Amino acid sequence: MLGLKHSIRFALGSIWSAKMRSSLTTLGIIIGVAAVIANVSLGASFSEFFEDEIGSVGNNFIVIESNTPHTFHDNELELVKNTPGIVGVSPLTQETGGVRYMSEVRQIPVQGVSDDYGQVANIQMGSGSFIDDNDGYVAVLGYDVAYDKFDRKIANKNSIEITFVKSDGSTVTETFRVKGITQSKETKLVESGIEPEGRIFIPVKVMSELLGDDYYWGFFAAAESIETIDEVSDEVDKRLARNLGIPMRDLDEEDIKPYSIFDQGEVLENMNQVSGALGTLLTSVAFISLVVGSIGIMNIMLVTVTERTSEIGIMKSLGFKNYEVLSLFIVESMVVGLLGGILGTLFGLGGAYLVNNLMGLPHVFPLELIFIGMFVSLFVGLVAGVYPANKAAKMNPVDALRHE
Amino acid sequence: MMVIRLYEGNSQLNDDTVMDVVIDIQNIRKSYLLGDMEVPILHGINLLVKKGEFVAIMGPSGSGKSTLMNMIGCLDRPTDGNVMLMGKDTRSISDNDLAELRGFEIGFVFQNFNLIPRLSAYENVLLPTYSNSKVNLDNEERARDLLETVGLGDRLDHKPTELSGGQRQRVAIARSLINDPSLILADEPTGNLDTKTSTEVMDIFSSLHKGGCTIVMITHDPEMEKYADRVVHIRDGYIENN
Repeated sequence: MLGLKHSIRFALGSIWSAKMRSSLTTLGIIIGVAAVIANVSLGASFSEFFEDEIGSVGNNFIVIESNTPHTFHDNELELVKNTPGIVGVSPLTQETGGVRYMSEVRQIPVQGVSDDYGQVANIQMGSGSFIDDNDGYVAVLGYDVAYDKFDRKIANKNSIEITFVKSDGSTVTETFRVKGITQSKETKLVESGIEPEGRIFIPVKVMSELLGDDYYWGFFAAAESIETIDEVSDEVDKRLARNLGIPMRDLDEEDIKPYSIFDQGEVLENMNQVSGALGTLLTSVAFISLVVGSIGIMNIMLVTVTERTSEIGIMKSLGFKNYEVLSLFIVESMVVGLLGGILGTLFGLGGAYLVNNLMGLPHVFPLELIFIGMFVSLFVGLVAGVYPANKAAKMNPVDALRHE
Repeated sequence: MMVIRLYEGNSQLNDDTVMDVVIDIQNIRKSYLLGDMEVPILHGINLLVKKGEFVAIMGPSGSGKSTLMNMIGCLDRPTDGNVMLMGKDTRSISDNDLAELRGFEIGFVFQNFNLIPRLSAYENVLLPTYSNSKVNLDNEERARDLLETVGLGDRLDHKPTELSGGQRQRVAIARSLINDPSLILADEPTGNLDTKTSTEVMDIFSSLHKGGCTIVMITHDPEMEKYADRVVHIRDGYIENN
């Protein structure tokens, strides 16, 4: 019985005897497998990148923004807080304040938040600690505010003065002690508008008091898990709508509702659409080149079979059975495919590495990629080899021997 | 020495002689289809080759000797009649079993050597064992020994293109012997060789014969008759003489 070892040696000998032809034949497979590998690898890189980015903005967050003032009050805050699946919620108010440190004054967005915000927005503190509910006139500074905005760096426990313009036009100024400074974070693609770097956080109660307002700009809530975030967000939406007297049929009418709501899941989805489009493109390229590559291998195997007709006759006269001749050519076809697969995998990984570098994506190369590459190429070789090999196996030994 | 004989049917053989019969061809006919026309090539041939014989089958081109050789070598099946190889009825066995029978029982030597050009002399000799290997033989050692025997002990790694015609035919002879077959079937083994190398090759066949090998040789060269125990003449698909 013809062993695999001998079949492979035989195949390699045959491929080697027609180097140029063989390498041209593998080109289609190389491109196809490279595209498959690059696709999977880039997809994995993108996903990880997006998850990191979104994760840095918050943990399973749901953002509720009002479109008109005086929409949300404590009543709505309680409602959101008591929705099942919500593990934390912070009210938000926002106003640009004139911030004075030493003799410099800068205009900086100031946000009123509660202590849940630190956890919901996944704020990492560089020094000090985040706001808690017992705090009075304290401020937490974004990294950029503390170290970039002013000529002199602001340190923990320094004092700053914030001036707000109230809705009636009058101004109010208070001194705040710096309680903490956030860590610097590198977010590139995701601009959620809620990055903490350039902001100042103060207790929401203090801010409402200063401004003389009793409404919130919105809520920043966290759901239990990313799996249930859509349901929880829908539930919050429903409860708010009912509370505000909006008919259920208008739930999806963004123009009618006085607020909008979105969650981390949706953001991830949007992000994944980008990589999905790229993936579709690469998949088509992979599919087309694999089909073309497979036809190429089949073509070259048919030529090989014809060329080696007398050799097939010799083998048969020496006692090789039909299925051994069949397996010999199938193995050869699969080896051609595999060679393409190995090169394709290398090119694919190289390509993904380059793109990752160019786009600043993390390098994610799942080990399965190697197996995918090998499997796909072996499979293509197998499919391409069946017909030519069968043709060889069915040859009549007398006719084959007579062939010159 | 007239060991070979034409014979008419099995019934004349007793049990002792059956054991010694390598090839028993029983009234075979072979015709080919040429378009719609059936062209008969062999018209009822009987031939018995016993163990240890050296038989030459002679005939001009077109006589049907190549077709006969294909029948003896089990490369093709007769239209009618039966070929018994080592007591086995070849009518009833599958193509794959027939291939295996060839692999174990018949060693082919062809006019144009039929070596695989990509393989070395040693690998060519070893090739049949990739498919059919007798468990009691050390194939690799045997391949080296056989090449040594035919005087190519120092050419193991040479490709066929690096060998002369006579050397190639000697590789082919070594290959034919690798599975210790019951029959060596040589088809014009000297047809592509000059007189001197022809003699060398035929000397190898002679010594194989002396060593007990059964050999059937197809030839059209009367010079070769002298090596055979028995010459069978074939003409127009009939065996002519006894």
